Amino acid sequence: MYFLRPRPSNPVWSSLKSQKFSKNWCRQLSQVQGPLETEDDWTDFQQTRTSLKTLTDAMSQYGSEQTSQWSLRDSLHRPAKDATLSALLASGAHFGHAASRMNPNFLPYAYGTRAGITLIDLDHTLPLLRRAAKVVRAVAANDGQIVFIGTRPDIRPVVQRAAQRLGPQGFHVGDRWLPGTLTNKWQMFGHETVRSKRIIPDLVILLNPIQNMNAIQECALSNVPTIAIVDSNVDPRIVMYPIPANDESPRTAEIITGVLSIAGREGIAIREAELQRMRLAVDTAWEDFHKMHELQGEHPTEDGRPRDSNAVGFDY
Amino acid sequence: MNILRSQICSVLRRPLYRQLTTTARPFVPPAQLVFHDNLYVPGAKELDDSTVEALVGETNEQEPEDDEEDPNDDRDKPHPDSPNFYTGRSSYYDNIVELQNAISRTRGTLQRLHLLPLPDFARKSLQPMPTVWKTPEEMTTDFETNMTISRYRRVTTLLNELNEYLRIATTAGYADVADRIGSIISIFESGKKEAFLSRGIRKPVLLDQHGRSYTFGKRKTSAARVWMIPVKSSTHETISDVNVEEVFGLSNEHKRSPVNVTVSTILVNNIPIAEYFPQPVDRERIVRPLKVAGVLGKYNVFTIVRGGGTTGQSGAIAHGIAKGIFAHEPETGLVLKRAKLLRRDPRMVERKKTGLAKARKRYTWVKR
Repeated sequence: MYFLRPRPSNPVWSSLKSQKFSKNWCRQLSQVQGPLETEDDWTDFQQTRTSLKTLTDAMSQYGSEQTSQWSLRDSLHRPAKDATLSALLASGAHFGHAASRMNPNFLPYAYGTRAGITLIDLDHTLPLLRRAAKVVRAVAANDGQIVFIGTRPDIRPVVQRAAQRLGPQGFHVGDRWLPGTLTNKWQMFGHETVRSKRIIPDLVILLNPIQNMNAIQECALSNVPTIAIVDSNVDPRIVMYPIPANDESPRTAEIITGVLSIAGREGIAIREAELQRMRLAVDTAWEDFHKMHELQGEHPTEDGRPRDSNAVGFDY
Repeated sequence: MNILRSQICSVLRRPLYRQLTTTARPFVPPAQLVFHDNLYVPGAKELDDSTVEALVGETNEQEPEDDEEDPNDDRDKPHPDSPNFYTGRSSYYDNIVELQNAISRTRGTLQRLHLLPLPDFARKSLQPMPTVWKTPEEMTTDFETNMTISRYRRVTTLLNELNEYLRIATTAGYADVADRIGSIISIFESGKKEAFLSRGIRKPVLLDQHGRSYTFGKRKTSAARVWMIPVKSSTHETISDVNVEEVFGLSNEHKRSPVNVTVSTILVNNIPIAEYFPQPVDRERIVRPLKVAGVLGKYNVFTIVRGGGTTGQSGAIAHGIAKGIFAHEPETGLVLKRAKLLRRDPRMVERKKTGLAKARKRYTWVKR
């Protein structure tokens, strides 16, 4: 590797000189060393690795300026608030299952077939997704319990993060949904828990409905509204708010679940804001009441008796 | 009369258990059933007062007559604590999530410290930290779920990864990171860890205040207790006092400095070895460990042996002597191990089997 001669006048170079910037430095990085025995060996090892990073950081100010930088979005940890057509297309949300397996009730949401695969019409997907998001927002704003069900290992972290976004109102099921969770709750959770806690959820969102037909059946029996990502081999009428999209793609699941969980978080924020507004209104009303009472207290009554300041008092 | 009859009819129509558990209320369409004061629908139009009063009035009419709470009425109850509530195994999944979070946090910290990813030469120089996790039975009580093999494996995979990070942090000298990981790992470590890790390791034999070693040897059904003490060279008559060349009349041309060899005694059951073991095979067997280690005249040996016959007793004494030499001089360990003298010979007399004359001997085969 070719190194420039260090110039002592430049402050960057002088700071770099203080770090072991020798000819053997590059060789040290790539070469396999002997086993590290003492803690000092470990410190030297860390320092060698840090020096490359420091070098690139120092040199970066001399590079060209990138004006248009595209960075890959982490749709698991920081998903987008709204899904766009291009994002859904990029994640492969329009790929359905084999055309021979298409459910006839799915026809309104199918764009067509190509290469033996049903293509899903994303122009239907987007408004249905927005509708489902509104439902989630409203349920969350009314202190509703929302359960995310995604029982495959690749979508397990998706439902976990989505439930985290909803705080105490968010729940998730990443492994098998045990049959009887809602219909056999007394035996499942015990009498004490059922009497003290809210068991029946207010909304259930399924990412792979075919594998969780038990859950859909139980929700129907317990009058729980459901949202699900329906693929082309599924009858969309099994859930209340179907979202036609590819159920096998984890990126599609991340985008859709991100939109729904962010809508839920917004609903919780709206509720908090409303409660805050109500509390503030009540507090200001009480302050006004007390102020009025003080003013009246300065002017005595017609009887001549002083007004009892505690005359009107009921526990707030 | 009509009132009584209608009551009796109602009793007969509805089974008793349903009467006791549910309240008798007239049917109300679901849309008109519930109206909360704090029901907020974002974007909905405000209801005018008359509608509100009408709805509130209807709700008041439909209040349940009895004060008992309907257990199916969920509205005022709190949310369940764990986000894994609907899995039915909340404590197990909570622990899994906690471990995953700990792993990702630690991984981030170690990456920032440039300790991850670790190249092979650095990985080889990590301190070994063997751990013993709790058994599935112990974890079943902790997690309140039956720990099947797959669930146990999932937990132990995460714990092993965390243990690797602990090794890296301790070897590199980051005590605070190591302490944090250690506190999490200690929850899942078995209480019998020390006992398990120290299994199979022999306790080192200590010399007493006189410098004697006390060891035990076994062979077949014999057991020997062996005491060994180094010979004090000044008190014993050494062979070098006698001039061999003078006695045998050999030439004096190649004179080498004489080697100081001490004379030792071996007593078996307080009897000298030559008397107790008349056969040279047995004496050879006993003396072999001393020869192999090169300490033939260095130690006096006192033995008490019980059980078995000549071969067994001599083998037991040899085993005890080998262990005693190892106690006095650990450097001879390799040589004795290579000669298989430190090993308790597992060969025992094989039992006689039914249908056979002896352990292996079969009865004469008869054609007819």
